[in-house]
Amino acid sequence: MIQTKNLSKKFVDNEVLKNISVDIPDQQVVAVIGPSGSGKSTFLRCLNGLEEISGGIVDVNGLIVDAFDAKKIRQKSVRSIRQQTGMVFQQFNLYPHKTALENVIEALLIVKVMKKSDAVSIGEKLLQRVGLIDKKDSYPSKLSGGQQQRVAIARALAMEPAIMLFDEPTSALDPELVGEVLTVIRELAEEGMSMIIVTHEMRFARDVADRILFMADGEIVEDATSEQFFENPRTKRAKKFLEKVIEY
Amino acid sequence: MNIVIENLPFLFKGAYYTLLITIISMFFGLIIGVLTAIARLKGNRLLQGISRVYVSIIRGTPPLVQIVIVYYGLVDYGITLGPLTAACIALSINIGAYVSETFRGAIQAIPSGQTEAALATGMSEQQAVRRIILPQAIRVAIPPLGNTFVGMLKETSLVSVIAVTELLRSAQLLVAQYYVYMPIYLSIGVMYWIMSTGFTFILNKVEKRLSVY
Ligand SMILES: Nc1ncnc2c1ncn2[C@@H]1O[C@H](COP(=O)(O)OP(=O)(O)OP(=O)(O)O)[C@@H](O)[C@H]1O
Ligand SMILES: [Mg+2]
Repeated sequence: MIQTKNLSKKFVDNEVLKNISVDIPDQQVVAVIGPSGSGKSTFLRCLNGLEEISGGIVDVNGLIVDAFDAKKIRQKSVRSIRQQTGMVFQQFNLYPHKTALENVIEALLIVKVMKKSDAVSIGEKLLQRVGLIDKKDSYPSKLSGGQQQRVAIARALAMEPAIMLFDEPTSALDPELVGEVLTVIRELAEEGMSMIIVTHEMRFARDVADRILFMADGEIVEDATSEQFFENPRTKRAKKFLEKVIEY
Repeated sequence: MNIVIENLPFLFKGAYYTLLITIISMFFGLIIGVLTAIARLKGNRLLQGISRVYVSIIRGTPPLVQIVIVYYGLVDYGITLGPLTAACIALSINIGAYVSETFRGAIQAIPSGQTEAALATGMSEQQAVRRIILPQAIRVAIPPLGNTFVGMLKETSLVSVIAVTELLRSAQLLVAQYYVYMPIYLSIGVMYWIMSTGFTFILNKVEKRLSVY
């Protein structure tokens, strides 16, 4: 479960997130959409502490980061939160000096201090799951963008996260490679994984997400089921946004 | 020419000291350099300040001055070092500053997404540096480090002033004995050149080994 209360984020004087309060129950698939610069990535990054929050509270499965707590205390909760969340980045961010399998098991070895043989068997299972077991010894530079992103998903899954965060996982991919990544994410959704997905793929959001958070100017302007949002958006801004993206 | 051939064992001994000083100073210089680079990038204010001043002083003063300060200057404070020890200390400190600048650049060249990916899996900042950033930075740093080390090999000739019988001083001793210049100096020139080329060769090999990805 993820909950934020009056979450705010400032970059110097620029208030990028304004008092965001949401409640995301387990097993829900949430798509975050909205215009560029509306704060979608920042919101996601505040959840796992890649950005320090400026105000409010983030609560992930009872692990609480309060902007008013001392830095030491916040850092401690942030690290526990990161071990319960997996993140997938737009640019994949695979470790280039490690093979696909080594990428997946790195955190198992270092963070969980697992035996190598145990980690490898988990890693192989995950690569199997994303359809890349035959690439386990390949370095990222030898993989296509779609394959790299699937390895990145396997890497995030390795720590058995309670929730997965995706920041535009297909935006850096050639169009013909988008499908294979979305398929993997869709399968995760069907298995009941909790997910927050920032995406520009409207059809995917509509199909896979239970719920849409529509952001604009650092606020959640609309919070609705995906059916409701796409059939009948309540706010003008959402209507405008949808008209625009559907034109393309 | 006969003089050179007769005295080859003596010159080889000099070359041996040149190599020894180079390798020892490189080894400690690398350690100092990596630690300084990390202190500069990830340390607290104090550590950052210390490493900045250190690098600035070393880069802003002639290595010859650094060598005589370590050898002669420290005597005033009751620290008497053997010439070889003094040479290695001075050169390690010297090269450490250059290595740290190379490393700092290399670490900064690694995209921030790498650290973020590591942190997102629950690694500590320290683990991310050690497991993800440094291995990549080392690869970036190898070619410029190679240049620094070859430069180091040549710089060892400076320690002849504190009576370390490395290659240059060996030659000077022979010259003083036989009053012949050219053959002796030419032959040590060749020896320096062979050693530099050897170093470059080894470094290229290491670079190849590390570029499997
Ligand atoms: N590190 C930073 N320093 C200063 N400003 C930042 C930083 N990161 C983001 N911003 C600003 O915060 C605002 C929100 O950025 P964010 O990346 O969260 O938007 P986004 O909704 O993810 O956009 P996009 O769809 O383009 O990815 C933008 O105005 C951006 O310029
Ligand atoms: Mg973004």
